[in-house]
Amino acid sequence: MLSFVARSANVSSATVAATQTVANGTKALCPAVSIQIERTLVPPAPQKLTTNSLTASLPKTPIRAAASLGGAIQVRFAHTDIQVPDFSAYRRSSVKDSTADTRSSAASRQGFSYLIVGSGAVGGAYAAKSLVGEFVSSMSASADVLALAKIEVKLNDIPEGKNVTFKWRGKPLFIRHRTAAEIDAESNVDLSSLRDPQLDSDRAQRPEWLVLLGVCTHLGCVPIANSGDFGGYYCPCHGSHYDASGRIRKGPAPLNLEIPIHTFVDENTLVVG
Amino acid sequence: MSLVAKLYNNVLRRSSTYALAIVTGAFFFERGFDMATEHLYSEINKGKLWKDIKHNYAPAE
Repeated sequence: MLSFVARSANVSSATVAATQTVANGTKALCPAVSIQIERTLVPPAPQKLTTNSLTASLPKTPIRAAASLGGAIQVRFAHTDIQVPDFSAYRRSSVKDSTADTRSSAASRQGFSYLIVGSGAVGGAYAAKSLVGEFVSSMSASADVLALAKIEVKLNDIPEGKNVTFKWRGKPLFIRHRTAAEIDAESNVDLSSLRDPQLDSDRAQRPEWLVLLGVCTHLGCVPIANSGDFGGYYCPCHGSHYDASGRIRKGPAPLNLEIPIHTFVDENTLVVG
Repeated sequence: MSLVAKLYNNVLRRSSTYALAIVTGAFFFERGFDMATEHLYSEINKGKLWKDIKHNYAPAE
């Protein structure tokens, strides 16, 4: 109390009455007063007859916790008459009973789930594979192009010593039935004398048949058969001379005439391509 | 242990074997599915396909 007086020295004139009242230390600071606590008035629960009274019964302000000795300490808005939905139709039979051991049936339940996902993945992989295959195969050569890619030649129509020209993949194809003298001469050519050294046996699968692309390796003219200095082919454009094996012997061309891929199906049938 | 549980423990449980099972499964599924749909197609179009009417046009061999 002293400290109170000391602190309020500047207002002591105004508090004289108070200091005088509490000067007696034996007395209580203030007399005991019974305070009338104002009870909160809660409106009675409305009778829920209309939508308006239903709305009035809903909580509209933030919920505050209230506690007292005798009263309820919580407000419950959940209704006990709402039934928990029955999910047993969606449950697997092994876990329908809530007291059953779930661990023993885990493998079969998970296995089933994985099987479903896995079979979906199998179907997806098949669909993806067919889709990719469809797109890739659309880029490959069509049947009409493939049909033109090969040519079949009946060899017994070509007499010995003759050169026959076919059209194959848009290019002239020479098939030459060589005589024994030509075969003999070409196989005895010295490789060191050639610009593009190649053995005659490497160029002709069967020595009597020579299959060539009739395109000069210089600038792409079509050589004339059975002419030139070496008895094979002669290109009239710039004067390249090829021998009876299609090898370049004289003139500006750098390489031998090209040999396409060809197979002898039987004695009288040749397939080029 | 049921068949599915056995399968789960041996194959489906590890991602490596699971993926392998899917790939091999897809291989056999493709074969089976293609054959089945092909068969269904030729059943529905019986009598209209070239293999059914070929003998009318090609000389007997």
